Amino acid sequence: MSEPNMNAETGATSETGPAERPHTGHGFGRLLVAVYGLLALAATGRSILQITEYFDRAPVPFLLSALAALIYLVATFGLARGDRASVRLATIALVIELAGVLVVGRWSQVRPEAFPEKTVWSHFGQGYGYVPLLLPVLGLWWIRRTARATEDFDPAAVAGPDEHGDPTGTNPARSAD
Amino acid sequence: MLQPLTVVLLVACAVLGLLAAHHLLRGRLVDDPIVLVGAALELALLVQLVVGLGKASAIGDGAERATFIAYLFTVLVVTPAVVLIAIKEKTQWAMGVVLGGAFVVAILVARLQQVWSLNV
Repeated sequence: MSEPNMNAETGATSETGPAERPHTGHGFGRLLVAVYGLLALAATGRSILQITEYFDRAPVPFLLSALAALIYLVATFGLARGDRASVRLATIALVIELAGVLVVGRWSQVRPEAFPEKTVWSHFGQGYGYVPLLLPVLGLWWIRRTARATEDFDPAAVAGPDEHGDPTGTNPARSAD
Repeated sequence: MLQPLTVVLLVACAVLGLLAAHHLLRGRLVDDPIVLVGAALELALLVQLVVGLGKASAIGDGAERATFIAYLFTVLVVTPAVVLIAIKEKTQWAMGVVLGGAFVVAILVARLQQVWSLNV
């Protein structure tokens, strides 16, 4: 990466061939986007129903369902769009999702009385075949893999780490939340 | 709800799933049979929507009825979405998505039947 004009000729030719540019929303990513879309749909539907029909019964689980729905929506669109800002946003959503499913999963085991109604995340997503637990791990792996592949595909397109100094991008997005 | 309709729907899901699995193993992409079976499944789901809405008042509990109606509509989205993704994607993952979609529709149809039988 020290001499950017050196690999302009050689980098793109030999290894990758005529392959398509790596994209988080293509190939295996389509499946991820489909599953995330489905979970977004399920969680949105469930939380709308819970909040409009019987919010008083269990406010905390219901608000968590709504939060999960929002995060799944962000992840779905972030992965599907696949540009740098979207992928960064999706990464944040996935990290929050992973933390959420772990915390809520454990919480619902230790204090089941706090969760008279199920959420997508209670008991580590048992009601959804543990998909909510598996998905963020898969998603983060896929984002990482795509980023690596992009680097191989077109090293010039990958900005240096010193460009903005904040590789994780957590701070601006947290405040925007 | 309407047992013959549910059976037809589950069979259609199975056909779509098997077709997708076959294409997946053979490395084939989306073709007319996939689209036609998908369309037939969607048509049957629309029939289910009409029948379900007509019969929904039989469910006494308001929240359960809302759930039932929500499922009736939600299940309509899945098949068009996965077929569209399959048309856009030019790798074998396309058929993986269709296979998953057929599975999800089957689960939702079974879940509808469950909500119905528990509340009527």
